[in-house]
Amino acid sequence: MSPSPTPHARWRSRLSVAAILALGLTACSGASVEPAENFGTFDEVLAAAQGQTVDLWMFGGDAKGNAYVDDILAPAAQDQGVTLRRVPIADTPDALNRVLSELQAGRGDGSVDLIWANGSTFSTGKQAEAWQCGWTDLLPNMQYTDPDDPLLLNDFGTPVDGCEAPWHKAQFTFFYNSDAITDPPTSLQGILDWAQANPGRFTYPGPPDFTGSVFLREVMLSTAGGADQVPLPYSQAAFDQYAPAALRALTELEPSLWREGATYPRDEQALNTLFADGEVDVAMTYGPATLTDLVASGALPPSTKVLTLEEGTVGNASFLALPVNAADAAGAMVVANIALSPEQQAAKADPGTWGQFTALDTDLLTPTQQNLFEQLPESPIVPDYEELSRNAHGELASEWVPALNEAWRQDIATAP
Amino acid sequence: MRVILGCLLVVWIVAPMVPVLLWSVAGQWRAPAVLPSSYSLQGFTALATPDTARAAASSLSLGLGVAVIATPLGYLGALAVRALPPMPSRFVEFVLLAPLAIPPFALVMGINVALLRLYVSPPLGVTLVLVVTALPYTAFMFRSALAGYDHRFEEVARSLGASPGQAARHVRYHLLAGAAARAFFLAFLVGWGDYITTLLIGGGQLRTLPLLLGSAASATGNEQLTAALSVAIILPPLILLAGLTLPAARRKRQ
Amino acid sequence: MTRRRAPTTRRAALLALPAVVPIVLVVGVSLTAAALQSFGLMPFIGPPQFSADAWTRDADELVRSTLTSTYVAMVSTLLSLVVGFVLATYVLAIPRMGRIVEALSAATIPIPHVIGAGAIGLLLSDSGFLERLLGMPEAFPALVSGPWFVAVIAEYAWKESAFVALVVLGSISRSVGDLCDAAATLGASAGQRIVRVVLPLSAPSLAVSAAIVFVYTLGSYEAAWLLGPTSPEPLPVRAVRLFTSVDLAARQQAMATALVSVAVSAAVIIIAILVLRRHRSLS
Repeated sequence: MSPSPTPHARWRSRLSVAAILALGLTACSGASVEPAENFGTFDEVLAAAQGQTVDLWMFGGDAKGNAYVDDILAPAAQDQGVTLRRVPIADTPDALNRVLSELQAGRGDGSVDLIWANGSTFSTGKQAEAWQCGWTDLLPNMQYTDPDDPLLLNDFGTPVDGCEAPWHKAQFTFFYNSDAITDPPTSLQGILDWAQANPGRFTYPGPPDFTGSVFLREVMLSTAGGADQVPLPYSQAAFDQYAPAALRALTELEPSLWREGATYPRDEQALNTLFADGEVDVAMTYGPATLTDLVASGALPPSTKVLTLEEGTVGNASFLALPVNAADAAGAMVVANIALSPEQQAAKADPGTWGQFTALDTDLLTPTQQNLFEQLPESPIVPDYEELSRNAHGELASEWVPALNEAWRQDIATAP
Repeated sequence: MRVILGCLLVVWIVAPMVPVLLWSVAGQWRAPAVLPSSYSLQGFTALATPDTARAAASSLSLGLGVAVIATPLGYLGALAVRALPPMPSRFVEFVLLAPLAIPPFALVMGINVALLRLYVSPPLGVTLVLVVTALPYTAFMFRSALAGYDHRFEEVARSLGASPGQAARHVRYHLLAGAAARAFFLAFLVGWGDYITTLLIGGGQLRTLPLLLGSAASATGNEQLTAALSVAIILPPLILLAGLTLPAARRKRQ
Repeated sequence: MTRRRAPTTRRAALLALPAVVPIVLVVGVSLTAAALQSFGLMPFIGPPQFSADAWTRDADELVRSTLTSTYVAMVSTLLSLVVGFVLATYVLAIPRMGRIVEALSAATIPIPHVIGAGAIGLLLSDSGFLERLLGMPEAFPALVSGPWFVAVIAEYAWKESAFVALVVLGSISRSVGDLCDAAATLGASAGQRIVRVVLPLSAPSLAVSAAIVFVYTLGSYEAAWLLGPTSPEPLPVRAVRLFTSVDLAARQQAMATALVSVAVSAAVIIIAILVLRRHRSLS
């Protein structure tokens, strides 16, 4: 037997081996990953997609959305030879986080094939070059979208550039308890005044929560005197000009909020719970489609009514984005195309199914296809998209979002 | 006085689970109603899907995987701490305790990139990290059992004519079986109930019951499903616990 | 005994390897990667560039998070020790009722913290089960997401007191009976027996479990996130918020925050080991 070092020395050498290994594994970084294939036509895409399994990462807390994808979209994909697997996540940035971690590790065979995304998730991914771009032109069903629709050209001020395929549209919506409020306000300023006059009956989710952050931006547009007053692109000068008034308004409002603003609901769901328990009388959502079902199931009281604002609210579109390192990119394109078909869009717009507003321009459809939309039942709670989106405005550039969130956290949440 | 203290302790232990159990069978339940205004099994019927069954199977195999690996490793580590001279023994003891000092989220945030770069499959990566998380507990269980265990037992057995192997098998087995069961159970729990490691390293490919719970809890009006899932996550380990402790308790009474 | 140990040292070292190697690898790689990322040496995009920015920017917030976490962990640990000790003594002192309490308490051990946090939320929130039981009083305090982390601490104390009781019972149940009998024949009252016999006997296991509970509550995310206020943020909540932020630069700060919580935990564990060793050498 050969002499061996003492156990202690051996451990020491093992420790240094581990440290070197760690350095080697982690030090070189920013490895760039190129998309594996380039397709000339959609037929090539279809051929390459056969037998692929597409992992669609999406927010998993919406039972109707889950059911739509599992029961209606996935079988349609299966018919075209693609298996669609839904990966539920608690928060959309988790999916981008996964893509970025994989890219950081230089992985070209990513586990994320599609993400239901928009706004800052999209713009951050674009900044990090995490998306495949220019592929949506290949999709035959893009012909049914309006090529000049501003909501589909820019996603929170970031040019879409064919890096993500439209999926549906949404409208920021307030709702109120009609048992408690007989004469609801008709403008955002009116809501703030009402909150001041009724201490403890209003609050909003604390940014950086998605919904709370939208509310913050809406307040800024309102205090600036209207959506057309604030430039869409972000600049420090614009921020310094318009943000302080919004923060001041919210600071003044704070003592009149639920719990005197000492704390804020964690997210939209927490706000809904307060609303359902009668702790507050007004709540808000970027997904008004869900309201019908929440009232029907008893999760929200029957007296829930949608509150439309005279000046309109913000609207956006959400998309299916394709990561640059997706292992099943062709399959993902096929799924994105199916999801955009008039049949799928109409099925998804049915309030009984999911109730998401279509991203298509119905004027571009054939009469038979238009008929699919005209036959949709009306929701007893939510007005149709035309009415909800009256006077609507688009989203500010996504750089506004973290800047305002951070200012809110420092001036309002952290301030004594 | 004793009875009051006993009742207080029982209330302290049981109270938090009462609303969960009520919600799991509630139809509608809004404030200020003290009890649900209607009852239904909708939460549990919504669990009867292949999705939930698959997630339960993933949770089970993750729990068992972590336990099967971490229990013998913890035993070996504890034996080594006992047998080594003071200096290396202290070092091994320190290493065995080290994962305790590292919050799971910190461990995961750091290791994720390396696992991805090494092409470690997500289930394997999650198991590896959770084994490391569970090792301090399993090693601790064996350490305290070994502290009360005396080599003289084995020497007596050998002086009675047992071979060294026999002595180790019979004597140690009986003395350490309890500790092994406790260690196995704790390690199983680490895998069975984990959320943040599975979420960040599993990358969506490993869908366990806690992950389903996480996404169910992030929706409005989902209290019934969330509560039913909670019950479904708690029950199997409880049954395992009862299976592990009841026979021992009965033996003790006899 | 030393006669037996000496020749087996090398074998013992081999025994340790299967447990030591994975821990050293995982912990070593993880801490190295976290440190590199916190100093900007592993960016998402662009070349690595050293910068201590993540440590210095918002340093006061990092300090406040550390203090918040320490406060929550300290109060939770203290409560868990007190309630856990009471549980253990009750189980030892009262035979029949004690067995019920012991079984119920052990039954909470398998409940994951994320479910425990959800349960405490349903119990203590505004319009929660407790407020409904009390008839919805106007003056119901803000327990969930209130300024003092009451619900967070309640969740930790609830789960961890059962753990403390389990550890204490496991370590003293064999020896405590005879000693208490002896003390009783010498005329000690029940209170004296608890203070003079049970407490000193369980001191080492209380110290060990205190360290474990402190470190666990310091690093635990779910309860602090679900039941805590918007601000101030405990370390895990801050770290995960920054880690999942869409701002690419935030990940450096997330890593710095994670490393701070590792440092605090390590310090507490080392203090606990020193205290235990002192205790052992004194007795």
